[in-house]
Amino acid sequence: MVKKISISKYISYLFLVTICVIWVVPVIFGITTSFRSQAEVVSAGFRLFPKEWDFNNYVAILENTSTAPILRWLSNSLLIAVSHTVLVVFIISLTGYGYTRLKFKGRDALFFTLLGISFFPGVVNLIPSYKIIEALGWVNTAWAMIIPGLAGMGNIFLVRQFMKGIPGELDESAKVDGASDFRIYYSIILPLVKPVLIVCGLFSFIGSWNDFLWPVIVYTDVEKMPITAGLLLLQDIYGNYRMIGQLMGSAILAIIPTLVLFIFAQKYFLQSINLNSGIKG
Amino acid sequence: MNKRSFAPFLFVGPHLILFLVFILLPTIYGIYASFTRWNLINDPVWVGFENYRTILFDQDSSFHFQFFNGLKNTLIFVALSVPPLIIIPLLVAVALEHKKVKFKGFMQAIIYIPGMISISAAALIWSLIFNKQLGITGNVFGSEISWAANQPYAWIIIIVISVWGAVGGNMIIYRASINGVPSDLYEAAEMDGAGPVRRFFSITLPSIRFPLIFTFVMTTAGAFNVFGQPLMMTDGGPQQTTHVLMMYIRQLAFGSGESVAGMASAMAVLLGLVILVISALQYYVMNRNAN
Repeated sequence: MVKKISISKYISYLFLVTICVIWVVPVIFGITTSFRSQAEVVSAGFRLFPKEWDFNNYVAILENTSTAPILRWLSNSLLIAVSHTVLVVFIISLTGYGYTRLKFKGRDALFFTLLGISFFPGVVNLIPSYKIIEALGWVNTAWAMIIPGLAGMGNIFLVRQFMKGIPGELDESAKVDGASDFRIYYSIILPLVKPVLIVCGLFSFIGSWNDFLWPVIVYTDVEKMPITAGLLLLQDIYGNYRMIGQLMGSAILAIIPTLVLFIFAQKYFLQSINLNSGIKG
Repeated sequence: MNKRSFAPFLFVGPHLILFLVFILLPTIYGIYASFTRWNLINDPVWVGFENYRTILFDQDSSFHFQFFNGLKNTLIFVALSVPPLIIIPLLVAVALEHKKVKFKGFMQAIIYIPGMISISAAALIWSLIFNKQLGITGNVFGSEISWAANQPYAWIIIIVISVWGAVGGNMIIYRASINGVPSDLYEAAEMDGAGPVRRFFSITLPSIRFPLIFTFVMTTAGAFNVFGQPLMMTDGGPQQTTHVLMMYIRQLAFGSGESVAGMASAMAVLLGLVILVISALQYYVMNRNAN
């Protein structure tokens, strides 16, 4: 009996450690390669860590402000992701309040109609979405990535579920005292739903920062695009000349913000997903 | 009284407008556009079912080839990526539940981290790993292959990067659900002499039935939208064998030549229908077998 348990323990460890090594080595190799000199990169022979740490790749990346303005791309991405996240949190809490706390005719029917429509595969609205963005004059502007994603239903569904669990007596008594709906939303409900808003906000930030298909379609101006679309250009600019060190440095710069966010907000990403399972995919 | 009747619009209205403009309108327009000839500049011209006839039946048309080649490659991607994206996170979650295993939080974080990395950054890093002269496959394992330029290796690198990036999300869902299984079930089974394998099949799997169905349906639907991995890892090669449908749709609508957005919309509608049918089928079959 005792023996059986320890065998399963070793199998578990073996499996987990193997996965962890495969999962982490590419990132480490990418980081260390960004610190190799061009000579070492081409001279080959595998070495996990560089012979000597060389910062020239990063100097070169930052100095290239014409064909690959990476700082520009990063700040574009930051502006987009932060604005999008703030607006998501505002819209989903406001809308969630409307669909749980306000009484109006056809409320639940409206909500479930929208939810049903939103299950329709998004690939169908891709091309017309571009036309709408064009009609609004948003091609090659940050708006193209900040606004359309606010229309989604997944986060609102979660917030609504969460708000339904908050007892109605709280706001009823406030209402008797003459508080307006906006006041109840702002000072009673908002603080109570903070956990779910934080989770939705974090995932919105990551989703916005990492979005790839949409920015590849709506940005043609090198100065205006976010980092994900920029890296696609870089693949040709540095890849053709086999400047792998600079390519890796750029990729590493692109993932630092989300990694930092993950490190600080780990518990929200990892612990509360049971309520979050709705937004994946 | 008056104020009350206005309130719903203030709270629900902003999102409703966004929904109409950015989801409902483009969806309807996308379906309409599939029945038109459209170059994204002039107004679409109604052509009835012509696009669909060309795509589905005109053997001589390049659109016919592109659609079926793209659909075939997309289906290959779905078939190869979905099983590991269910099985690996499930095994990881079970292994992490083992009472004697330590550093759970640390290992879980490591496995989750690729989910924080964009497809384009991940593709650059993995291209280095699989690079013949500079990478790990060549220097450590002595492989002489240009992975992206030969099959089946081109598919292997696409699947590896996709699985690497997406295992974490499902792992978290499974961990949370396994945690929710009452522990006295396991204790009772253990007393009856059931080993770990038996406990997994008789208790764990049935108890997390709903999350399993959910992740299976969502992972599959997501896999149909595959785009970034083949675009950046293989650019659809070799000989268009990894050229997926989303790449053709984007190319036809937004590529360098004149846009054939009507044709691309028809392909998008067909892809959307395939996704809907498969999701419904999965849900139906799995729910039925489970009962």
